Amino acid sequence: MRALIIDDEDLARAVVRQHLEAHPDVEVAAECANGFEALKAAAQHQPDLIFLDIQMPKLDGFEVLELLEAEGRRPAVIFVTAYDQHALRAFEAHAVDYLLKPFAKERFDAALAKARLLVAAQPAVPPPPAAELAATARQGRPLERIVVKDGPKVTVIHLDRLDWVQAQDDYVLLRTEGKSILKQQTLASLETQLDPARFIRIHRSYILNLDRLVRVEQDTKEHRDAVLRDGTRLPVSRAGYQRLRELWEDA
Amino acid sequence: MHPLLVSRARLGTYLLGWVPIALLLAGIARSQGWNWLEATSLALPLCLLGALLFLGTWYLCRAMPLQNTVDGLATQSAVWGTAALLMGGLWAGLAWLLARVLAWLPGLGALPQRVQLALPVITGLGILLYLASVALSYLMLAQARALEAERKGAELQLLAQESELKALRAQLNPHFLFNSLNSLSALTAVDPVRAREMCVLLSEFLRRSLGLGERRLVALREELDLARAYLAIEQIRFGSRLRLDLTVDPATEPALLPTLLLQPLVENAIKHGIAALPEGGTLVLTTELVEGHVILRVENPRDSDAPTPQGLGLGLGLRQVRQRLLGRFGSRARFEATSLAETHRVTLVFPLETEP
Repeated sequence: MRALIIDDEDLARAVVRQHLEAHPDVEVAAECANGFEALKAAAQHQPDLIFLDIQMPKLDGFEVLELLEAEGRRPAVIFVTAYDQHALRAFEAHAVDYLLKPFAKERFDAALAKARLLVAAQPAVPPPPAAELAATARQGRPLERIVVKDGPKVTVIHLDRLDWVQAQDDYVLLRTEGKSILKQQTLASLETQLDPARFIRIHRSYILNLDRLVRVEQDTKEHRDAVLRDGTRLPVSRAGYQRLRELWEDA
Repeated sequence: MHPLLVSRARLGTYLLGWVPIALLLAGIARSQGWNWLEATSLALPLCLLGALLFLGTWYLCRAMPLQNTVDGLATQSAVWGTAALLMGGLWAGLAWLLARVLAWLPGLGALPQRVQLALPVITGLGILLYLASVALSYLMLAQARALEAERKGAELQLLAQESELKALRAQLNPHFLFNSLNSLSALTAVDPVRAREMCVLLSEFLRRSLGLGERRLVALREELDLARAYLAIEQIRFGSRLRLDLTVDPATEPALLPTLLLQPLVENAIKHGIAALPEGGTLVLTTELVEGHVILRVENPRDSDAPTPQGLGLGLGLRQVRQRLLGRFGSRARFEATSLAETHRVTLVFPLETEP
């Protein structure tokens, strides 16, 4: 079994490596100090199992997992973290294991045994997508950034730089700082991850960053346009207008 | 200070309240066959005199809070009754004097005689008005007491917040603690000597932060010692990613400041600076003494891809640091957080005050 150890701290990776010494059937294909290295190593080594820290620079553990998924990879995952244990307890229901730093040998061996089973036999219920795990761990807090993989390039979009989003079938077109980036996700699923006080579904096909909105203009009796700071006009549906008005009335 | 005399608006309202009484008095006089001139020229000045005279009731009421025993109430009723009789009489006497004076004016020659006849009515009205002013005074006193209680409540709430803060300060950052223990767990196998060193550092840090949590003010020297212990641990954790550049002016070391003010700055610099960068960076901590003021600066590199916090969008940690610094030194201190593209800097400036 091939494994990757992904953690930004040398010593934290060393702990996992030391524990793995007792399991000669697991080969450590690579150690990665950040998410970008992890993506590269995963493409190169096709790991069956990854040990994944959650809090890392640039890309966090969930984002690494999401990007791996976008490439069609889904190795077995053991999260290794000092993260809030209450947030992670929910993972047990998803057949995803986690180790809370620091951990004992017995706990490590148990997690590894579980991962072995997962790798050997494809489970009846596949583990949930990374975005769902991340949402569980966030415990209701909205998303702060979006990661997109486009070929070898990874783009991280911080949400205050996201202007608006347009639905395009199974994809969303993310508009940020004059650029358009496509991501495979439905608009409805993205909508549930965003902060409803900052991002509004103004139309069946559009989500708008409220901060960009200047005014709403009524063209004809039934047709309204949102005018953005940069002059862009996006259509506002009747339901979207209703949502905007509710927000204004609450404010 | 009398509550009606503290502002013009209140005094004005009070005097306005006397207008209907003056009208009532004039009306009664008219019904007794006085002409309009006589009625108004007596009623208006008499009411003005009454308004001023009865202001004094409040002082007496304040000196004699309402009793809630039957005996106490009886005594007080007797006192107020007597006072009301006296004041009613005094008021009637004033009316009589006023009439004498006004009689000099043309057209008011009959006034003294008319007042003479009306003296019992004026006395009675005076008694009633005096009792009303007693009631009003007690009402104002009760209201003032309620306001006072509210203010005290707010003060207590503030105190509670302060102690909550204390609890918060004593609370250790669990993420730091668990990560350090994890590093320690790695070191035990590969480098027992450094493992022991880390144990000592961790104990020192814990002992110091527990000790500091109890105090309100502390010398900068102790804050720096705590920060050094903390940073030594983080250096083991982050290895070559964390580089330190500490420059401490010895003259600033005895400066007193609110407890655990430096620690959140250093923790933030690690969390949002070093830990957020794959290659890490240098944490710069300097203190200097300029014209009797300590300038304390913590600077760290930041992820240039992350959005810069706008305006005063400080995190809870920094907001509390600012609040506590300004709470202690007021306008003599300054808090500044600057976020540039690649560096984040927090500067505290506060007057050098030392232990006596």
